[in-house]
Amino acid sequence: MKKNAFIFGYGQRGNSFSKGLKKDDFHLYIVDSDKKLCQEAKDDGYVDVLYIDVTKDEALEELAIDDDSYIICVMEDEHLNVFLTLSLRALFPHATIVAISDSIHVTQKLKMAGASKVIDLYQVSANRIHNILRKPIATKLLDSFVSDSYAISFREMLIPENSYLDGMMADSVNFSTQGVLLIGMIDVELSHKFIFITSGIDHKLDSGDTIVCIGHDHDLDSFEERMKKEKVV
Amino acid sequence: MISKLIVKFAFLLNNSSRYKQVKLFFYNILQNPDYPYKKYLDSLMIFLILTSVGILVYEVRNPVPEWMDTYDIYVVSIIFLIEYLLRFWVHDDLHKMILKEYEEAKFLHKPFSLALPLKEVFKQKIQYITSPSAIIDLLAILPAYRPLRILRIFVLFRVFKLLRYTKSINQFVDVLATKRFELFTLLFLLLFITVTAGIAIYVFEETQNPNITTLFDAFYWALVTISTVGYGDISPVTQEGKAVSMLIIVSGIAMISFVTSVIVSAFSEKLDELKESRIIEELNRNDAFIIICGYGQMTKMFLRQERELNDDYVIIDNDPQKVKQAIKDGYKAINEDASRHDVISKFNLEYRNITILSLTNSDVENVYITLNAKSLSRKIRVIARASDESIKRKLELAGADHVLLPSSVANMMLLTSINQPVMYNGIHAILTGKNVAHMDEVSVLKYAELIGKKIEDIDFKSYKILFIGIQRGSDGEFIFNPSPDTLLQEEDILLMMGLKISIEYFKERHQRSHL
Repeated sequence: MKKNAFIFGYGQRGNSFSKGLKKDDFHLYIVDSDKKLCQEAKDDGYVDVLYIDVTKDEALEELAIDDDSYIICVMEDEHLNVFLTLSLRALFPHATIVAISDSIHVTQKLKMAGASKVIDLYQVSANRIHNILRKPIATKLLDSFVSDSYAISFREMLIPENSYLDGMMADSVNFSTQGVLLIGMIDVELSHKFIFITSGIDHKLDSGDTIVCIGHDHDLDSFEERMKKEKVV
Repeated sequence: MISKLIVKFAFLLNNSSRYKQVKLFFYNILQNPDYPYKKYLDSLMIFLILTSVGILVYEVRNPVPEWMDTYDIYVVSIIFLIEYLLRFWVHDDLHKMILKEYEEAKFLHKPFSLALPLKEVFKQKIQYITSPSAIIDLLAILPAYRPLRILRIFVLFRVFKLLRYTKSINQFVDVLATKRFELFTLLFLLLFITVTAGIAIYVFEETQNPNITTLFDAFYWALVTISTVGYGDISPVTQEGKAVSMLIIVSGIAMISFVTSVIVSAFSEKLDELKESRIIEELNRNDAFIIICGYGQMTKMFLRQERELNDDYVIIDNDPQKVKQAIKDGYKAINEDASRHDVISKFNLEYRNITILSLTNSDVENVYITLNAKSLSRKIRVIARASDESIKRKLELAGADHVLLPSSVANMMLLTSINQPVMYNGIHAILTGKNVAHMDEVSVLKYAELIGKKIEDIDFKSYKILFIGIQRGSDGEFIFNPSPDTLLQEEDILLMMGLKISIEYFKERHQRSHL
């Protein structure tokens, strides 16, 4: 089932953001209270463009936002953005709200307003400079995950029922000979948190766990196939 | 005939790369403060000077052993003489001037004469010989001439030679030079009063005061009095003499306070500049450093990130307010315009690895800074900030090594967080350097013991480290998950991930066993 994604604001940020969102995975809604921007969105080929007054709760309530929805707040006006975040959080306590901020102060306000994730423009940029300077190789590798330009990628895989991996300890499986590296896993037994393999605790793999591996695409494909092999009892 | 031969010889020199290399080497080692090996020669010179002066002082009370004398006369003096001649040689290029004159003559079809270039060179060499440092150098060689004992005192000129190696004295002179007019006026006034008062006391007291017998005595007395030193060995005895003393004492006090205030104000005006040049000097001693242009949001964030940033950075901003703020925040900052040629060329561009972060708010400024840096040296690495795609292209054309688009970086993070939430968490942890997922790059070169080892021989698992791959050479390819029998090479960089302590332990272990 496609998840709903609501993008509030179709300014410069909203525009480039909408372009990057995977069309196959999300049902995209664009919301703005500026008629001109709404028209622009329509001209750019988006179907669900909603022209509403975002400061009115009644208007927001009518949107088809459920708990699984993503809300992206990228209004051009900073004050409006914080206000909108606050209104949306009050109306939809369980939805995921993400926002972009351009200063530490706004970041804090957005967080207080209830945004689930705030991306600070300067923080991520500063981080990036730091990484380019100090960890050039790691940066190049991580870039390749995001941009799909290299053959190495990052993949989440579900351990199927009766897989030969079921019940094995993570340390005892030699992943690297199969061309992939195990970075971490999401253990349903413990919590849904992402656990890095290097955290030092030896995890037991169960079917239903999600493991996260990096490797060349074809190696990941073949590994995924092999994982389905039945456990030898 | 002779001039033809000389021109031929000049051509020979001009075409000889060996001659040029040798000359450049001597130029660098003597004159170029950025040259890394200059400090060795400097240390040697300082050592020679100190020992020579030491011997002079020792000699006053003790007989000097033969070897010390020989060392002082021959070794020190001869090295100084060689130094003097080398400096004389590298000061300018005679053969170039001859060639220039020759080519010009050929072009204009006028007869070639050696006299002109020779005159030119003679002028330049004379200019060198009469420069203060050259005079000091020459006088410092003189003590070698033994028959004249009085020349021993010229050893003191060897102390003056030290001036060449102390920047602060030069700065002091520079600062005073800015107040040249005021100081000269005062000096003239001082001279005038001393001479007048001296003549007056000579006229009044020459016959009555037994201490004043010559005009020199009178001038000496006037200067001692006007400077408020007042030894008291000569004092006026007549009414008239005392009246003159009173007058020059008062004017002396006025003048001294005036001189002091002129010097102090010269320094306070130049203080910031002095501090800034000190920062640049210190920075130039590092092998690699970062110049951050603009002190705005991004710079603040970046500096907060760089916990391990030691002394190898400086912030340049042309807004004095921002510089003040940066200094208040505890950073090293100077108030300059980074897009100016002469500002960036103060740094040691040739021998150090410099990274310029151009993070100002203005795209125009960033493009200009990038172009300026790249025009000075292609070696400078530039990471520049752009506000949109079109500027990014411009910066890339200008030669920036990395262009950063804050909005697109943020956008990418946001997209990743929604499109690939699990990966986002992972990458976010790695990028922000969270403890559990510290990604580090280990250069094999630094841990000599690793060279030539097979990957399977290093038990990464026991260190709880995930070995990801090898970067072969700085521009080489990245080998992801290399096969276990891969041999590690000197220029390899290992990419690994793990707890910070795991990686530190790994480094420590391999360092120790290497020791």
